[in-house]
Amino acid sequence: MEFKDYYKLLGVEPDADGKTIKAAYRKLARKYHPDVNPEAGAEDKFKEVAEAYEVLKNAERRAEYDELRRYGGQREQGFEQPRGRQGSASGSGDFEGDFADFFSSAFGNRGSRSSGFQGYSDFQQSAARGQDVEVELPVFLEDIISDVQKPIEYRIPAYVNGQVTEVKKSLKVKIPKGVSDGGRVRLKGQGAPGQGDAPNGDLYLHIRIVPHPIFDVEGHNLLITVPITPWEAVLGAKVQLPTLTGKINLSVPANSQSGQKLRIKGKGLPMKNGMGDLYAIFKIVIPEHTNEESKALWQSLSEVSAFDPRTEWEKPNV
Amino acid sequence: MSDIMLKVSLQELCVQEGITETMVIEVVEHGIAEPFAGQDVNDWMFELNSVHWMKKAIRLYHDLDIDWVSIAIVIDLLKQKDLLLRENARLRNQLDRFVSDVADLH
Repeated sequence: MEFKDYYKLLGVEPDADGKTIKAAYRKLARKYHPDVNPEAGAEDKFKEVAEAYEVLKNAERRAEYDELRRYGGQREQGFEQPRGRQGSASGSGDFEGDFADFFSSAFGNRGSRSSGFQGYSDFQQSAARGQDVEVELPVFLEDIISDVQKPIEYRIPAYVNGQVTEVKKSLKVKIPKGVSDGGRVRLKGQGAPGQGDAPNGDLYLHIRIVPHPIFDVEGHNLLITVPITPWEAVLGAKVQLPTLTGKINLSVPANSQSGQKLRIKGKGLPMKNGMGDLYAIFKIVIPEHTNEESKALWQSLSEVSAFDPRTEWEKPNV
Repeated sequence: MSDIMLKVSLQELCVQEGITETMVIEVVEHGIAEPFAGQDVNDWMFELNSVHWMKKAIRLYHDLDIDWVSIAIVIDLLKQKDLLLRENARLRNQLDRFVSDVADLH
């Protein structure tokens, strides 16, 4: 196993005092804390830094680590534990693994409360109860209005022979009525298993609505862009409008503008009480190709119409 | 199939997070999360999005060793960022339905 240099991780000298170590930790923790830094890899970096600080902030633990470090420093490759220091969980001490493994092998099993170090318990405060697991759940708009149970798969941490590993879990979930984009759902006891008799953690699903080809979502309301011809916009028209639950007839009022919204009550997403609305937004579309006859008609229209859409520009302050 | 829930009680929250009521009260007093029901502290119930922010706040409190006022500011900014990102994505989507590709002037 590779030896981890806690001093290097915190960017401090091996003879740094407690204050320097604390300052270095704080700076790095703020930079890499997964709650403020969403970048990939930040969480791992934070865990490394936190582990380094866990050891170096405590004089007794630091002295033990320094001893290990002298030993590990002599053998850059293939760090193995000195005899008589093997953690209860590791058994052989030469297993492959990541940073946490180094920590467990040097300072006892991370997940167990039997570690002999004072003050270590704050680092693993919720070891007995299973961890809560938060999973992003992409859902289609159609899933929200249907009664179908959505299958989900996620990974939970589990202890196998004293080692932390991940196991796959699958479930079926009915999205509750009223949940919309960004909402959260809790499934009791579906998180990581508790140790011994302790309860399981919970599963938190973070609902994310997958972008839809025709509908946009705004809270519990839906928006649909309705392409209309210039003559439909001027003269008014009846068009068939798709909704999530089937087509309806929509009357385009005469003299509709591009971008104008029309509310269709109750055709949005389900709320706790009732339904959201659907908004139709008109978009005037010009045909890509115009034949001679149409062109002539547009031409005569341009000659009879005095309409100027750019009068705003004529104002002195523009 | 297990129970689907949309809320958490104060007591559950304390057990889940290994925290005290005093800490939850602290978080509520700093406006990081607020109960949606319960007149008395013991009857407090929290919506799941509130719980999400509360957990974040408590992690920051433990890990970064900063005071509650600073955490409240951080959480407030994170909430705003979240909201803006989502709104931006939504508006961009809507805009894409309206605008077409750029044509060069000849």
